[in-house]
Amino acid sequence: MWKYEKKLEYPINIKKKDLKMAKAMLAQYGGPYGEMAAALQYLNQRYTMPDDKGKALLTDIGTEELAHIEMIATMAIQLMQGATVDELKNAGLEGNFAQHDSALFPTDANGVPFTATYTSTTGDYIADLESDMAAEQRARATYEHLMDMTNDPDVLGPLSFLRQREVIHYQRFKELRNYYLENKM
Amino acid sequence: MYDYHRNLEYYNYENNNYNQPMFTKNENPNSLYDPYNGFIRGNMFPNLYNEYKIDPIMLQSSNEEMQLKLMLDALCFAKEDLNLYLDIYSNDKDMIELFSQYTEETRKILSEYEKKYGPIFVDSDANMVYPWAWDNAPWPWENK
Repeated sequence: MWKYEKKLEYPINIKKKDLKMAKAMLAQYGGPYGEMAAALQYLNQRYTMPDDKGKALLTDIGTEELAHIEMIATMAIQLMQGATVDELKNAGLEGNFAQHDSALFPTDANGVPFTATYTSTTGDYIADLESDMAAEQRARATYEHLMDMTNDPDVLGPLSFLRQREVIHYQRFKELRNYYLENKM
Repeated sequence: MYDYHRNLEYYNYENNNYNQPMFTKNENPNSLYDPYNGFIRGNMFPNLYNEYKIDPIMLQSSNEEMQLKLMLDALCFAKEDLNLYLDIYSNDKDMIELFSQYTEETRKILSEYEKKYGPIFVDSDANMVYPWAWDNAPWPWENK
């Protein structure tokens, strides 16, 4: 089970509205390499990890990804705060407005809804861990693209933090995969 | 023009060498960042730190609440990063000690913060009050 902490993993206080950035940010919400896909993938894979190290790591990284979903949602919401219908239309968010008003809905940056096919489980822990390593690299690259699109330090701070977490998660997945290979599990 | 070499540094990084066996523990916990410096980087391990585009952004605290919150966030982060490390290197005694130390410090800061500014956890002492305090603003996603 999970216990809610009434705080973000990293503080987010965005003062400047930026609707195009909000739209781009959805890539990491309900997109193919987003935090939702990562959380679901790791939390589903943990049941078939071969030992307690694997069950622990997949549980803990999966849990951290849940906190990252919350961070991305927070950034999208704050970037859109106070937007008028005209402003949303100008930023290409008219479809989003028509369907969801100002509510959050898990899509990618182009409005394509989230799907479970963005995640993968094979029951083969080496295949799973290597897909997790790749997932972390794809997310890192996406964070770099997002960082390339803004100069607002209020947005860059959390993005840079999240990008760095991908670097660490990649490392830990790789270490676990190497441990399994070296110990011929 | 698009810079195709901008990620080169990342791929040259020794820890991303696929051919290197990487099951080696961190030899000296003292070589870790302190919780604040790890937190602003998103990484407690200097040997794994990988920068992109910007230097770490200093987080300012202009009042006591923000200062306590920053200490709390940084300690929670340090614990999270050590937790992931320890899942793999479960026999690293020094790192377990450091984890215990941060856990102890977190407890103190958390209880001070909650006493003054409201509960972070629903079952904390700070929520044993009338009226019910858990539903008080701000919620984490709300701009301050």
